[in-house]
Amino acid sequence: MKITINVNGKQQRFDVEPNTLLLNLIRDEMSLTGTKYGCGIGECGACTVLLDGDAVLACMMLAVDADGHRVDTVEGLSDGNKLHPIQQAYLDEGAVQCGFCTPGFIMSTKALLDKNPNPNEAEIREYLNGNICRCTGYVNIVKAVQCAAVKMKE
Amino acid sequence: MTRKSDYVTVGKDTQRKDGVAKVTGSEKFASDLSLPGMLHMRLLKSSFPHAKVLKVHTREAEKLGAYTLTPEEVPDIKYCPRLVSTPEATYKDWRILAKKPLYVGEPIAAVAADTEEEAQLAVEALKVDYEQLPAYFDAEESRKPGATQLHDAIELKGTIINPERNIACTLDLQEGDTDAAWKECDEVVERTYRTNRRYHLQLETKSVLVKPEIDGGISVWSTTQSIHNTRLLLHEIFGLPMGKIRVYKTPLGSSFGSSIQVNTIVPIAVAMALKTRKPVKLTMTREEDIRDHVSYNMIFKVKLGAKKDGTLVVGHLDAVLDLGSHQIQAYALLGCMAGWWVSLYRLKAKSYKSVAVYTNKTPSCAFRGYGNPQVSWMVETIMDELAEKIGIDPLDFRLKNYIGEGEIFWGQGPTVKSVIRSSGVEEILKRGAKIVDWYNRPRAGNQTGRYRKGLGMGRGFHTSSAGAPVPGTVVDFSGAIIKLNEDGTVDYITALMDHGGGTLEAHAKIIAEELCLPLDNVNVISADTSTTVYDVCTHASRGIYSGGGAALKVAKQVKEKLRTFAARMLDAEASALSFRVDNDRKQGVIYAEGIKGREVTFKEIAYNARHKNWGTIAAVDSYRQPACPPHFTGYFIEVTVDTWTGKVKLDSVVAGADIGTVINPKLAAGQVHGGLAQGWSMAVMEDMSYDAKTGDLINNGNLTDYKIPYPRDMPDLEDFEVFFVETVEPTGPFGAKGIGEGALNPVAGTVANAIQNALDIRFYELPLSKERILRAIMEKEGQ
Amino acid sequence: MMDINKHNTHILHRFEYHAPVTVTEAVKLLKELGSEATILAGGTDLIVKMKDGSERPRHIVNIKQIPGLRGVNETPEGLWIGALTKISELENSRVIKEKLPVLYEAVRVIGSVQVRNLASVGGNICNASPAADSAIAFLALDAVAHITGPDGDRKVPFGEFFTGPGRTVIKEGELLTGISVPRDVYGWKGYWVRVARASMDIATISLAATAKMDGGVVKEIRLAWGTVAPTPMRTDNVEDYLRGKKLEQNIIEKAASLAASSIKPRDSGRSTGPYKRKVAKGFIHEALTRFAEA
Repeated sequence: MKITINVNGKQQRFDVEPNTLLLNLIRDEMSLTGTKYGCGIGECGACTVLLDGDAVLACMMLAVDADGHRVDTVEGLSDGNKLHPIQQAYLDEGAVQCGFCTPGFIMSTKALLDKNPNPNEAEIREYLNGNICRCTGYVNIVKAVQCAAVKMKE
Repeated sequence: MTRKSDYVTVGKDTQRKDGVAKVTGSEKFASDLSLPGMLHMRLLKSSFPHAKVLKVHTREAEKLGAYTLTPEEVPDIKYCPRLVSTPEATYKDWRILAKKPLYVGEPIAAVAADTEEEAQLAVEALKVDYEQLPAYFDAEESRKPGATQLHDAIELKGTIINPERNIACTLDLQEGDTDAAWKECDEVVERTYRTNRRYHLQLETKSVLVKPEIDGGISVWSTTQSIHNTRLLLHEIFGLPMGKIRVYKTPLGSSFGSSIQVNTIVPIAVAMALKTRKPVKLTMTREEDIRDHVSYNMIFKVKLGAKKDGTLVVGHLDAVLDLGSHQIQAYALLGCMAGWWVSLYRLKAKSYKSVAVYTNKTPSCAFRGYGNPQVSWMVETIMDELAEKIGIDPLDFRLKNYIGEGEIFWGQGPTVKSVIRSSGVEEILKRGAKIVDWYNRPRAGNQTGRYRKGLGMGRGFHTSSAGAPVPGTVVDFSGAIIKLNEDGTVDYITALMDHGGGTLEAHAKIIAEELCLPLDNVNVISADTSTTVYDVCTHASRGIYSGGGAALKVAKQVKEKLRTFAARMLDAEASALSFRVDNDRKQGVIYAEGIKGREVTFKEIAYNARHKNWGTIAAVDSYRQPACPPHFTGYFIEVTVDTWTGKVKLDSVVAGADIGTVINPKLAAGQVHGGLAQGWSMAVMEDMSYDAKTGDLINNGNLTDYKIPYPRDMPDLEDFEVFFVETVEPTGPFGAKGIGEGALNPVAGTVANAIQNALDIRFYELPLSKERILRAIMEKEGQ
Repeated sequence: MMDINKHNTHILHRFEYHAPVTVTEAVKLLKELGSEATILAGGTDLIVKMKDGSERPRHIVNIKQIPGLRGVNETPEGLWIGALTKISELENSRVIKEKLPVLYEAVRVIGSVQVRNLASVGGNICNASPAADSAIAFLALDAVAHITGPDGDRKVPFGEFFTGPGRTVIKEGELLTGISVPRDVYGWKGYWVRVARASMDIATISLAATAKMDGGVVKEIRLAWGTVAPTPMRTDNVEDYLRGKKLEQNIIEKAASLAASSIKPRDSGRSTGPYKRKVAKGFIHEALTRFAEA
């Protein structure tokens, strides 16, 4: 099936089978391996991407359902040499350990801060509650989101 | 020794060198790699917990165009996937593809095809004739006389052992006159504890990519904590010359001990690559990974005695280890369990009996703490109980009996002994107690309402490495290569893996500090087995202490060569030269103090050395630490128990740690944060249970039914305080020790003590699930 | 029994794909394909089942492109919720938050933000899990399911909608098009409570309670439970007992005991029957105490 997706701001055409998952299209066809497989059933959030600005799970979506929509992945966040403030905040706060969950967390953070530029801690935790991190206990991640909110206003 | 505050780089927060790759999605983990023409593999796994494979029918799968691999086609040898112990302590009972699977999920055959979808169809087309055999899910059952023997023959240093009654190995110890010591005791507590079985749930499932090379060799990218041990094992199994096996360092999507051993899928993928002569990739699905590795399940029968004045005297521990179906490091663990047990508190006499038993469950392996979280949970809760019986405050009881500076420490077991030279135990306990107002905590049993609050404390430690003055049965040394580049930067080349904790960031800081270089001038080079010297494995909280020790040793050698070259250039006495960082020029500088103009940058030295044909300044060496100093931790945790639902809420946490010199402050605190989360999860959430009818996990491999904490399950930022006490470990690089495991070890015990404080109920089985707690409340209150 | 060699969460097996653009077309297709077809809406339940091998539909009928099945609209009769409405849209609906707090509380705990952005309310209901959070709220609101089939439209009250675990009254060839909530429950008191293993989890046990109170006296009450029986269920006998009564302490205690003995929980890998009975008591206690407050 022929589909068109706006990937990180660029229109792209793909020919996919109906059973192709959006996650596999992103990783295998687009070669954007920042979006991770963690559990395949929506429990961990490692595959979080933005669909028309909303955080969704690429492992739970058919690629054909992204036809005509915009998909944003972690690779599209920084422009050239400068990191996006969210990415910089994750590094500044020591929120990155193994880094495997990081792209998913960063995309959830992006969706949150786009909708709510001043979240309180409870709102941050609520919004990130679909993402698992086994390394950080979430402490420095929550700090990074707070720090990113400040950076994005600068 | 330089004071900590004088350090230029050590102890400063910096942006980690692998950080940009990790936040932009460009870091390539093993599961992100691919090669042109690569085949995708799938595994056929045993549906039964114990069976004989009579035949694997491959014709239908082959008709679909897939390659197949059956048990007959792989080398018929037994191996142990972990190569950390010496041969005397390495039990071999694994086969690449099982002819007699011993757990649900054990690989029996494999297929490879152009796409994963085709491989999946092919694996479904395989048919297996099984003869089912009796299975055991309880260590007490499987070691009963008359139980069916699971392994016929296992190997130990070339000899065959027959594990009768499914006993894999045993270890007994005795120190001091226990009979006399028991008579000295005024109070004795005797209890039985049962731990849970936890899944690592590292975010990246195990993955491997193998490329057959034109010269008959192979290149391997896999999830591993040790590239050299991976190469050693592949050499042992496949007989390929070591020069033809290249194992590349590949970033880890965390591990927590689950890749100390070479992963089950690695030899299978190598066999497939050698058969097909094509690159092959195998990434486990989550449901495969969850059936592949798990923590050790333990039963402790323990007895502890003390005098009325609060002096601990004697203890006995009878430990049963339910190791599952295959040995990874059970024997070594029996030794360590003894070590974990006797290393927190002074016992003038102790006895220990332990046995590791096979069952038809997922093979167990190390999981952050290597049994220490389980043992410390038992020690810290029985200490509380004994303190209560004596009538002494549990904190004072610990202060009176803890093992500290100058005392013999054998945390890594009886073969790894050294003397403690740095201890912040007292400061951790006293500072923590002050913050939480310990002595005014609620009295157990005083509360009656629906919600009851409790405050508990617990101590922990872990060894930093398995170093010691004399070698035991554990291999522990590291190595490093450092070379000066023509621009005045250095390349640091190590086989040591960073799990994500920032170990290599710390090494870079150690090198920068020693050589007086800006941190940016230390390049951490991605490397492989052919370009590095041996490092045993990143485990045992040894990354900074042991690996950093090697980096420091080699940096010192490079420093001396720099000094010699500089002396020639400056026409100065080498020993009189000094080093400093010049941040404006972004260079390390060597100079003669007080003499103007007599200075030279590293870049100038390298330039000169090249043009005058002096050669490259470089050094390579190995290093073994002469000790395994404990890092110490202490937790104070406040909880609220809802007595209507049995749910426990984590209200607040104060954690203190003595890790010697802190090299990466934010990342070190991150280790404590992560340790707390894993410990909380261990205490109240995690368990892997098996369906006795099917032998499979009750959760069917789904994360839906294996819960760990999400962001909302953890306390608010203001309710979690971490502090580090100031100590300097004389044997550590710039005074540093480890932290990874000690951060987790005390948590479950502390949580249990807090719950006891809230409810006046002690629990002897983990996890403290809402069902278990509510049942206990109902029993206590006669409902 | 699940076959571990069919379980693969990396990929989906092959199927014939259909994407009808009208309800009529969808109904026609579903009728033709019969039991070989499965409806795909948000996908968050179906895709999991397809990956674990427990469902292998030959045909997938993706109904996402049918217009008119999405949205929350007020009508003279009450609230109309299209079957394809995302859970996140319910969560963000002002009218639901203000008028139907019990539904608001229920949908807020479904999965995660990401799941709620994908999952449809129709799917959450038609999956017919005994734990389905939205279903319990709809039960407590006496909502009505609107179904279209080859023989036309029909309405089924939620009390009759679920027929067993994973089963509903929807027959082959039929499609859930929406849910309506009658206006007369606006302004009723509502209470929602659940307990689970973690903050993102399937409920171990949950209760949605609504009541019309008159000076401390129960005029009308509905108690709907999750995960205490093979389907979401109401405890009619407890409702009958409470109707017309003033919520004094002894009445509350009695109702709590009655509820605990009326639910039908079983032991499972997730929890135990005795646990749920004990917790159910507390839930009733909480809900009724709240209703008794002015």
